[in-house]
Amino acid sequence: MSKFTLNVNGSARPVDVADDTPLLWALRDTLGLIGTKFGCGIGECGACTVHLDGVTAKSCSVTVKDVAAMKITTIEGLATGGRLTALQQAWIRLDVPQCGYCQGGQIMCATALLAAKPKPTEADIDNAMGNICRCATYTRIRAAIHAAAGA
Amino acid sequence: MSAALPSPASTPSLLDRRAFLRVGALAGGGLLVGTYLNFGGATALAQTAPGSAVDFAPNAFIRITPGGAVSLIAPNSEMGQGAKTALPMIIAEELDVAWDKVTVTQGDLNRAYGQQLAVGSMSTPGNYSPLRQAGATARAMLVEAAAQTWGVPASECTTENGTVIHAASNRRLGYGALTAKAAALPVPPGVAPKDASAFRLLGTRVPGVDNEKIVTGQALFGLDQVLPGMVYAAYVKCRVFGGKPVSANLDEVKKLPGVRDAFILDGVTGLMPGVAIIADSTWNAFSAADKLKVKWDEGAAVGESSADMAKQAEALAQGAAAVALPDGAKGVEATYHYPFLPHATLEPQNCTAVFKGGIMEMWVPTQIPSAGQGLVTTGLGVAAANVVVHVTRLGGGFGRRGSNEYSLEVAAIAHRLEGTPVKLTWTREQDLAHDNNYRSNGWHFFKGGVDAAGKIVALNDYFVKMQGGPGDMTAGTFPFNIVRGAAVQSGKIPGTIRTGYWRAPGDNGNIWATQSFVDELAHAAGRDPLDFTLDLLATLPAPPAAPGAFPGGPAGAGARGGGGRGGPGGGGRGGGGFTASRMTTVVKLAAEKSGWGKKLPRGQGQGLAITFTNNSYVAIVADVTVSPQGVLKVQKLTAAVDAGVIVNLSSAESQVQGAMIDGIGAAWFLKATVEKGALAQTNFDQYPLIRLENAPPVVDVHFIKSVAAPTGLGEPGLPPAAPAVCNAIFAATGKRIRTLPFAETDLKWA
Ligand code: FES
Ligand code: FES
Repeated sequence: MSKFTLNVNGSARPVDVADDTPLLWALRDTLGLIGTKFGCGIGECGACTVHLDGVTAKSCSVTVKDVAAMKITTIEGLATGGRLTALQQAWIRLDVPQCGYCQGGQIMCATALLAAKPKPTEADIDNAMGNICRCATYTRIRAAIHAAAGA
Repeated sequence: MSAALPSPASTPSLLDRRAFLRVGALAGGGLLVGTYLNFGGATALAQTAPGSAVDFAPNAFIRITPGGAVSLIAPNSEMGQGAKTALPMIIAEELDVAWDKVTVTQGDLNRAYGQQLAVGSMSTPGNYSPLRQAGATARAMLVEAAAQTWGVPASECTTENGTVIHAASNRRLGYGALTAKAAALPVPPGVAPKDASAFRLLGTRVPGVDNEKIVTGQALFGLDQVLPGMVYAAYVKCRVFGGKPVSANLDEVKKLPGVRDAFILDGVTGLMPGVAIIADSTWNAFSAADKLKVKWDEGAAVGESSADMAKQAEALAQGAAAVALPDGAKGVEATYHYPFLPHATLEPQNCTAVFKGGIMEMWVPTQIPSAGQGLVTTGLGVAAANVVVHVTRLGGGFGRRGSNEYSLEVAAIAHRLEGTPVKLTWTREQDLAHDNNYRSNGWHFFKGGVDAAGKIVALNDYFVKMQGGPGDMTAGTFPFNIVRGAAVQSGKIPGTIRTGYWRAPGDNGNIWATQSFVDELAHAAGRDPLDFTLDLLATLPAPPAAPGAFPGGPAGAGARGGGGRGGPGGGGRGGGGFTASRMTTVVKLAAEKSGWGKKLPRGQGQGLAITFTNNSYVAIVADVTVSPQGVLKVQKLTAAVDAGVIVNLSSAESQVQGAMIDGIGAAWFLKATVEKGALAQTNFDQYPLIRLENAPPVVDVHFIKSVAAPTGLGEPGLPPAAPAVCNAIFAATGKRIRTLPFAETDLKWA
C-alpha cells in the first residue's frame, strides 16, 4: 500500500492503495466516482475512458502510480457549476443512451474530439470514437457529436 | 443450476387483475392508484378506508400529492429498451398530465406490479392495457371530483395538463386540489381509455428519464451500488462447463493484500460450485483471484468441442429426406451455419447483497426480478417473503439477465458473511466463460427447387442445434408454411454448454438462414428478390384463427421462433396473428424508401429480408459496397416496421436501429467456440463487438402509423438485418455468405 494524491476533477484526492492498482478501481472503489465504468479491464471497450491532462486514456490500463502527477478528469467533472456541456445536453436531447453503460466513456471521447476538432468530419468521428457500445447507439452518437459541434 | 424463465402463467398477470384496480388516499392527503393485493378475493373493485393507505402505498402506480406533484412507477426493469420512460408515458397519456411535471421511480420486485418480465420484447405490449386502465380510471375520478365540487355533469368537464376544466363556466381545478375528494369516491368500473387518435404524448419523442444521470455519471447500475461497510467479492468457477473445485491454495490467498477471506462454495442447490474471495476492494479481489490455484474436477464436458459438434451435425443431416423435384425444376441445396454467442452485456454480471436478521436484501440488475428470489429461496432456504429484491438499471440485457445465477452466488456469500454487505463483480473473462444461456450454434441443411415459372416447388430444411433451450426451426416459418409439401426435420447435439435466450431467440439465426436461402431461390428462379417475396406473401391465406401464429403455423412457433418461450401472447402481447397485408405494406414501404431496384455497378448491391418477430412486422433493405479487394461497407439500412401504436418514438426508433446494428455486428464479427469443454474466447480482443466505424452511417426507420395494440420492438429489428446485408453482398459480388461470422469470408471480387 502506498499513499498517492490524485488530482481528480480539480481537487486533490488522497488514495491509499497498492501501486499496481488501476486508476479505474481507485476512482470507483476508493473515491466513489462510479461514473467511470468497468467493461473489460484490458483496454478494449473504453467504458473506463477518462482524460489525463486533457487526453483520453483507458483508466483500466494505467496504474495509480502512472498518473499521480497528471490532471485527471472523469465524467463527473465535465459539467461546471451544475451546467452541462453542449455535448452532454445534445446527448440528452437526442436521447443517445439505451442502457447507458458505455455512455460516460463515449462522452469523454467525444469531448476530447471536439476540443481538438470543433467541426469534425465523419472520418474524424470514425477515428476518435472507438469505444464499444453493446446497444449499438452509434447512429445517435454520431448525430449528437454533429449537433454539439453545430451548437 | 437451472434458472429457466418462468412461464408467464407462473406469475399472476396484471392483465388478469385489472379489475382489482385500487384507489386510496395518500397519508397526509393525495391520491393513489394501484393494484389490489387480494389475489384470492372476489372483490372486483376495492377501496381503502381512509387512513389505511400506508400498506397500499408501495404498490401504487400513480401518486398525486395535494400539491399536484405526480409520480409514476415503472414496473419493468430498464436495460436500455426504454421501459422506464415508455410505461409511465402510457399512464401520463391517459391521466392527462404534463410529462415534464411527472417523476418516475423504478419499481422493485412486487407482486402488485404483475409480471415484471423484461423479456421477449414484452414490456410495453404486456403493460399497455392495464396502465391505460389505471390512468384512465384515475382521470375519471378526478373529473368526477371536480364535477361534484362545481355541481355540473362530469360529461361537461375536460382535462388538460393535470387540470380539470369546465369550459362553460370557465372554471379550472388542478388535480392536486381534487385528490382528497377523488380518493373518497367509489372506483368507477370499466372506464374506457382514450381513442388512440386522441393521443397527445404517445407517439412523440421523449428522451429517457435517466439521461441526465447517465451523462453525468451518477449511480444507477448494479455495479454502482455501494453499502456502508461493504466488502468486494470475486467468485472463480471452473472454465470447463460443469466442472467444480476440489481444493485450492486458500491459506496463501488469504494472506494476499486486502483479502479478508477465501472459501469454496459447493452443495448449494442451483449454485455453480466455485471459490469465493472476499477483499477490501474489487482490484484486490481480482488480483487475489489471479493468484488462486485450484485443483478442478473438470467433469465429462472436457471432451466437447465445436469442431466435433460440426461433425455431429453433418452426420445427423445424413438423415435428411430427399426432395422430389418435378420435371424441369431447378434444385438448390445449401448449408448455413452460425456459431455460439455469449451476450456480453457491457456491464459484467454483478450483484450486491446483505443478509441480516434473516432477511436477504439484494440489488440486482435483472430482467426478471422474481428469478433471483426463487433461486435464493431454493438454494439457501430463505423464505420468499424474506428476500427483498431491488431492481437496478441494467448495463444491457439481451436475454442474459433473465437468468439470475449471479444473484445466488452473491447471496450464498452474503449468507455466510451474515451482517456484512457484499458486492460480487465478474471479470469480463468470467462473463464470457460463464454465460448461462449462450445463443446456440445452428445448422440449416436446405434442399429446395424452383420451377420454370419462378415458383418454389420444393423446400426442406434439416435443422440442427444444441439440445435444450429455445429457438427451434419450425414448419411455420415463412415461406415453409406456404410451399406445398415443405418440411422441417431437426436433430439435436448433446453438450454441457448451456444455451438459451439471446436477443430474438431462434429468429436471430433461423431468419438469417431462411431469408438468405429465399434470396438464393429467387436468384435461381431468375426473379427480383422483392417481387419474389411479394408474390409469396400474395399467396398466403387469410389470417389463421390462432393468435400469435405466423400464417399456417402453430401458435407461438414459426417465424416468431419463440416456441418454448411460454406461449405467444396474442392478447397479452398485443397484435394477434400474422396478417399478410401488414407484411406486404412494410415490404413495399422499405422498397420505396430505399429506392429498391436501382441498376448498380459491380461492387454495389441491395439486399432485402423480412421477419415477423414478437408480433411485429419488419422489412429491411441494406445497401452495401464491397471494394474489389473485398472491403465491405454497409452504407445504409432502411427499415419499415409495423409494431402497432408507437409509445415513445424516440426509443422505438433507437431500439430498431440498435437491434439492426447488433444483428449485423454479430453476423459480421462474432464467434464463440467450445474447445476442451470450455469457451475458447476470453475477452473483447477475441470477441470483437461492432464499433462505430463499421456501423452504417445511415440507418433509417419508418414506422407504419397504426392504432393497433403495441407489439415488441426490442428484438424484431435484429433478425432481418444480417440476411439483408448478406443478400446485398451477393448482389454486389456474387458471393453467397453461408457461414457466420462473415468477416471470415474473403469478399475480394477482382
Ligand atoms: S474497462 Fe477499460 S477499456 Fe474496457
Ligand atoms: S448504451 Fe448500452 S452499451 Fe452503450
